[in-house]
Amino acid sequence: MLIIENLTKIYENGFKALSNINLEIPEGQFVAIIGLSGSGKSTLLRCINRLIDPTEGRIIWRGLDITSATDDELRQIRRRIGMIFQQFNLVKRSSVITNVMSGRLGYINPLFSLVNYVPRVEHERALAALERVGIAEKAYQRASSLSGGQQQRVGIARALMQNPELMLADEPVASLDPATSHSVMKYLELLNKEDGITILCSLHFLSLARAYADRVIALKDGRLEFDGPPEQIDNERFRQIYGEDAVEVEIH
Amino acid sequence: MLNRLTSRGARRRLLMVVAAAAVLIIFAYGWSVTDINLNRPQEPLRQQNVGNALRELLSPNIFQQDYTIINATTPILMDCPADGSAPAPAEPTGGDEPHIVVIPACAHSGEIVTVQGYNFYPDSLARINWIATDGERRIRQVVGTSNDNFVTNTDGTFTVEIEVPRIRGTSGQTHTVEAQGRFPAGLPRFSDTTGLVLEKMIETIFLALIATSLSILPSAILSFFAAHNLMRPVRMSLGSLLVGFALLPVGWLLGTEVLGRIGTLAVNLGKGAGFNLGAVGALSSLFLFAAVTSSRAQASNISLNSDHLREIASKLLLAVVVVATIGLLGGLGILFGGLFTEGLLRYLSNFIGSLGQLVELAILPIAGITGAFAVSSAGMSLALNGLKKLHGAPAHLLGGVLGAICGAILMGMVASIGMQAAWLGLLPPVAAASLASGILPALYRRFVPQPARPTAAGRSIQTALSWVGIIAALVGTAAVLNVDRAVIAGTLPSTRSSVSLPGLTLYPYITQAMLIGAVLGGLSAALAGTKATFPLGEILYNTTRTILNALRSIEPLIMGLVFVIWVGIGPFAGVLALTLHSIASLGKLYSEQIENIDSGPIEALQSTGANRLQTIMYAVVPQIIPPYIAFTMYRWDINVRMSTIIGFVGGGGVGFLLQQQINLLRYRDAGVAVLAIAIVVSVLDYASASIRERVM
Ligand SMILES: Nc1ncnc2c1ncn2[C@@H]1O[C@H](COP(=O)(O)OP(=O)(O)OP(=O)(O)O)[C@@H](O)[C@H]1O
Ligand SMILES: [Mg+2]
Repeated sequence: MLIIENLTKIYENGFKALSNINLEIPEGQFVAIIGLSGSGKSTLLRCINRLIDPTEGRIIWRGLDITSATDDELRQIRRRIGMIFQQFNLVKRSSVITNVMSGRLGYINPLFSLVNYVPRVEHERALAALERVGIAEKAYQRASSLSGGQQQRVGIARALMQNPELMLADEPVASLDPATSHSVMKYLELLNKEDGITILCSLHFLSLARAYADRVIALKDGRLEFDGPPEQIDNERFRQIYGEDAVEVEIH
Repeated sequence: MLNRLTSRGARRRLLMVVAAAAVLIIFAYGWSVTDINLNRPQEPLRQQNVGNALRELLSPNIFQQDYTIINATTPILMDCPADGSAPAPAEPTGGDEPHIVVIPACAHSGEIVTVQGYNFYPDSLARINWIATDGERRIRQVVGTSNDNFVTNTDGTFTVEIEVPRIRGTSGQTHTVEAQGRFPAGLPRFSDTTGLVLEKMIETIFLALIATSLSILPSAILSFFAAHNLMRPVRMSLGSLLVGFALLPVGWLLGTEVLGRIGTLAVNLGKGAGFNLGAVGALSSLFLFAAVTSSRAQASNISLNSDHLREIASKLLLAVVVVATIGLLGGLGILFGGLFTEGLLRYLSNFIGSLGQLVELAILPIAGITGAFAVSSAGMSLALNGLKKLHGAPAHLLGGVLGAICGAILMGMVASIGMQAAWLGLLPPVAAASLASGILPALYRRFVPQPARPTAAGRSIQTALSWVGIIAALVGTAAVLNVDRAVIAGTLPSTRSSVSLPGLTLYPYITQAMLIGAVLGGLSAALAGTKATFPLGEILYNTTRTILNALRSIEPLIMGLVFVIWVGIGPFAGVLALTLHSIASLGKLYSEQIENIDSGPIEALQSTGANRLQTIMYAVVPQIIPPYIAFTMYRWDINVRMSTIIGFVGGGGVGFLLQQQINLLRYRDAGVAVLAIAIVVSVLDYASASIRERVM
């Protein structure tokens, strides 16, 4: 269970990106977060693993208070929370397998990392993760030589190395074409269904949310505008979330 | 409207004219300050001197050859007979032998005769001698020159005019005209100068190479601290920081006492061959044990009340292992240093031996630093839980106590630097000012009711208050520590009436500074409380940047002067000077490369639970390797240039030779050095550019 209580984020320049968000997300849910650009989706996701420090409020995951965790505790929490990014955030010059293995660093003795030593089991675990996202044959290529969809699958494999129980995905398909978007979303769905990983995924297209999510959360100007199953979003709700002039576009 | 526009245009034009006039005056002043004098270059003597110097510089004395002198003679009758029965001028004999002909075959004193030579060595030196009946040789300079020698023609002939000498009482006798020609013997070879220059050039290249490679590691480490994007997010709770800082001296003492002993023991073990295997075994098992304990702590599930005692034990154990390993390696190095005295291995043996000696010399400081960090980090994790539970007044009280201790330590350290030289005495007031800067704004926030949203007015009041505090602390500390005396008269603080404690001596100057530090540090930390976050990264970043910039602004030649005083004339001084300057300059260049990297991977690795070190190793290092190689090459290139002139201040290399040659006015020898420098610099310039292009 992930509980978000009165979460508020005010950036250093005084901009209030989130105001008083309250959410309860049970284990195993696939949650889509939608909202206009600038509505605070990334801010919300980043507050959960504290890439951004919240200004007020608490985030409690499985009884652990993330907001008050010390650095050491935070690292232990983070290694159970996977995250994938719109820009994939791979080290482009490193090989695919190195990128995947770097997802395991939280479990590896830092002294080993100093000499770039990775235990053999982790190497095999990385190959298995690549196998799972279907690009094992690319393991020894440079990450920069892969296509966008393949890079995002490397990103998923890297997150898989953490044995995550919660996966945060910040617009994972926003820079991919529709067909590739669906294939990447399918992998997320698989993780949700097979491994029971809770998924919080921000999306630009409502159609993707309808296709994959159990629950949709809509943000507007940093406030919670809607929280419910995707079927409940009718035209009126849609205009509430995206503004009066918006028209829903389908992505197939 | 139009009026205003034109008037504005007019004003701008006027302003431009004034500015142009000002620029002209400044330029004219510069012209006279730099002593530009158009007459001097036109003085004939100067022109002749510079011509000669340039001619010699451009005729480098690269080659050298042996010569034999071959003489050719022909008779000449002094005073032609009055009856006109002058002997017929000799005809060229033909054949391959060098020979000469004098025309006419008789002459009287003071007359000009022509000497023709055949079969001499082309473009080579020759001279004409007059041999009278007494057998004495008299050099005859060619008419119109002031040189004893002249140069033969390209076909090996020459035609020169000489004046018949006046020699009393020789009339009617037959004298001899002799031509001496220089003929090369054997093949040309490189001159001794060339050999010397080559030897010094090799020294120069290695000087640059060693200085560059020595600077890589320190500047790479410093570059991380000088990269804003890495350092900005580094924040710490003030409580932890103060605990850690207060424990540094304790750790240093423990380190030098306990770890130092272990380290010295390890060095000695390494030096004595007998114990080695056992010691290596013991140390490596210790190392393994430490690695295993810390990795087990890592691999366990999320447990927020993690086992602190084990963590602390593993940290202390690690410190022991580190010091013992370094000591043992150092000892083994010394052992190896004595192994080979001949052959190529002698260089290796000597090198590793010196590294070992370095470790032996530095083992106490190494132990002290390791101990300081181990104890302070152990203390921080021990205090973590306690500090977390502390709220309200106790947090401020504890902050005050810890702040006073830390302020005293900090000011004590700064003061012991400050008493070394008059201008270093400015450091304690600056440090005091930075300690004081937060006090008045914090008081203001505490005792004046604050609006919910910070207002611009409130912020400017706080800035003003901060400056008041800074200036007050600056002036107050300067007055207490008598900084004015130091700066004006150059007198250093008195070192009499000192208090001796184990490990340190306290002079009044230092105790006063510590007292100031305790008050200011205590006040600041009490107001902030242990819960406040401290921008540690920002402070480290600014300090590193300041030091790097200051170092970079000192020219390597000046550093060279100082190092020559320290280690004597020679390449070692040059290596030290160039290393120091390279560290500063590469540190800056490297850190700019870190600031340019893609921050996405850093964020991604942070989100996986990797710690800071791991994030740097896996997200930063792969991105910076190519630019680091490129900038290192670039720096090597610069260092070669600099090492060619560092010899001018005694720093070794070809520059020292060049300076001697110039001082001795041996421009042809200097020409060889100049040529060698030009070749090496341009080759390296090209090489470094092409390597840089390939990696970028
Ligand atoms: N570091 C920051 N400092 C100040 N304001 C910020 C910062 N980061 C984001 N913001 C602001 O906060 C608001 C929410 O940003 P956020 O990135 O969470 O939006 P988003 O919903 O993810 O938008 P998008 O769909 O474009 O990614 C935006 O108005 C943004 O300008
Ligand atoms: Mg976003």
